[in-house]
Amino acid sequence: MNQMTKFGLMLGIICLAATLVLAFTYEVTRPIIAAALYREEQEALKAIMPEADLFKPGTVGDIKYFEAMNGPALVGYCLKVTGSGYGGYMHIIVGIDTGGVIKGLRILQHMETPGLGSKINEIRLGESEPYFLKQFIGKNARTISVGNGIDAITGATISSKAVTDAINKTVTEFMEKMRQ
Amino acid sequence: MKMMGEFVKGLWRENPTFRIVLGLCPTLAVSTSVSNGIGMGVAATFVLVGSNIFVSLIRGIVPEKVRIPCFIVIIATFVTIVDLLMKAYAPALSRSLGMFVPLIVVNCMVLGRAEAFASKAPPFKSILDALGMGIGFTWALILISAIRESLGNGTILGITISRSFEPPLFMILAPGALLTIGILIALINYLTMKWKAK
Repeated sequence: MNQMTKFGLMLGIICLAATLVLAFTYEVTRPIIAAALYREEQEALKAIMPEADLFKPGTVGDIKYFEAMNGPALVGYCLKVTGSGYGGYMHIIVGIDTGGVIKGLRILQHMETPGLGSKINEIRLGESEPYFLKQFIGKNARTISVGNGIDAITGATISSKAVTDAINKTVTEFMEKMRQ
Repeated sequence: MKMMGEFVKGLWRENPTFRIVLGLCPTLAVSTSVSNGIGMGVAATFVLVGSNIFVSLIRGIVPEKVRIPCFIVIIATFVTIVDLLMKAYAPALSRSLGMFVPLIVVNCMVLGRAEAFASKAPPFKSILDALGMGIGFTWALILISAIRESLGNGTILGITISRSFEPPLFMILAPGALLTIGILIALINYLTMKWKAK
C-alpha cells in the first residue's frame, strides 16, 4: 500500500469513529435540548400572560406568534421578536392584548455586554422583574420608542433601543398583517 | 512520585494561563463572571482529558505526517460532545458561554498538550497531565474572573458583596481583562523568580 492511501485510510477511520460517537451523543441529547427549549418558552408565555391557559402557535409572514386563549376567549397574542443588539441577536417574547398594548415581555436570549447591555435583563435586589422591561407594560407597542415612553439605560443606549425598536416594528407589522 | 509530577506541574510551574500563556482568547472573553470561569474551566478540562487519552492511545498507529488532522478531529469530537451535553443539562450556562464552548477546538492549550505531551506519553500519564493542566486553567480563570467580577460589577457568583463603591465598568470590559491578566502574570513571574533565587 502506498503512503498516501495509508494516510487517507487512517484519517478516514478516525473520522468514522468520531462521526459514530457524535451521532450517538446527538441522538441522546436532542430530545432533552428540545424539551429544555420548549419548557423555557412555555414558562415565559405563562409569566407574560398569566390569565391564558392555552397558547396556540401560528405564523403570519415571518412572525411567529401564539394566540393566548382563556377557554374559548382570545385574550391576546404572544409574539416572538428578534432584535439586533450590540453583541448580536436578542430573542424576546412579548405579550400584547388585541389592541396592541403590552401585557408583559421576557428576554429569552441576548448577547449584550455583561455589566452594560446586559442590564436590559437585570433584576434589582428585592425586585422580581427587570426594571428596564417593567416600563413597557401597559404601553401601546406601536407608539413606543426610546425617549417616548421608554427611558434608555445609562451606558446601554444601543441595547435599549434595540429592544424597543424590535418590539415596535414587529408588533406594528403583526397588527397590520392580522387586519388583512 | 514521578507520576504526581505530571499532575502538579500544570497547577503552577507550567500553568497554561500564567506560565505557558496559552489559550488567552477564551480567558479574556469569558472571565467576566466567576460562574462563566468555572463553566469554561470544567468544559476545557473535560476536553483535555478526553483528547489526551485518545491521542495517547493512537500515538503508535497514526503516521507522523497526518497526526495534526487526527488530533483536531479527536478534539473537535470532544468539544461537540461537551457543547451538546451543556445545551441539554445546563442551558443557562451554555447560553452565557455562548460561542466560546465550540471555540475550545481552537484553544491552543488543548492541541498544545496533545502535541507536546500526549502524543509521546502513555495514557495514564496523559490523563494526569490533562487533569493538572485543566485544573491549572480553571483556577486561573476563577482568580481572574473573581477579580473582574468583584471590581467591575460589585458581585461574586452573582451575589452582591459591596455597595460602598460604584464599580468601574472597564474591569468587566476588555481592558479590565488585559490589565488583570498582565498584572497577575507579572506577580506570578516575580514570585517564581524570588523562590528560584532562594
